[in-house]
Amino acid sequence: MARLSKENHLLFPLIVGVLAWLIPGAGHFALNEKKRAIIIFATIVPTFCAGLYIGSIGVIDTVGATPWYVYAAQIMISPMVAVLAHLTAGGSYPAYGWPNEIGQIYTSTAGLLNLLCIVNAVYLAYMRSTQTSGG
Amino acid sequence: MSIADFLVIATFTAPQTIQTNPALMLWMLPLAASMAITYKATKLPTITPANFIKEAAILFASIVIIITIIALALYALMWLITE
Repeated sequence: MARLSKENHLLFPLIVGVLAWLIPGAGHFALNEKKRAIIIFATIVPTFCAGLYIGSIGVIDTVGATPWYVYAAQIMISPMVAVLAHLTAGGSYPAYGWPNEIGQIYTSTAGLLNLLCIVNAVYLAYMRSTQTSGG
Repeated sequence: MSIADFLVIATFTAPQTIQTNPALMLWMLPLAASMAITYKATKLPTITPANFIKEAAILFASIVIIITIIALALYALMWLITE
């Protein structure tokens, strides 16, 4: 029984974390923190889209000159970034200069902000699961 | 696919033109606003519109002021070294 309770303590935050990664704000939405979820979604997604608009989808580049940590930050916003990376892998959407720099900064910052939200949602989920079970 | 859909997708497949001039620094403002709003959304214990806007505005102003101070200090250092 104690083992089952411990698994629930880990499973619930894990599900919330995955939801928060799939869609920005979804983790907080699952925790019934709807205001936070709306604010997070309405801030992070436009920031990411602004980065793509400024530098084109070419700013998500796993093959070219992009350092690995930029892609690591970008993919924190959603696994959909991997789909975009697959599209741009052939070098069909080249981006250079300021648009590339600013686009990378916007998209990677959006990803890191979503990482902050994922950690916050997992923490809240863990605290709630321990409080409800009295552990 | 309609023409409208095509135009929306097309805007994301070609980079914008950005000139190198002092106005380039203004690109940091939306990013600072985004950081302030997201950080406060995760940190405030309860969210009310007035309190949230006030807290986010204070953090946004703090980020911009501190970045400006650092930029001025670096500019002064550069001036001292090169002049």
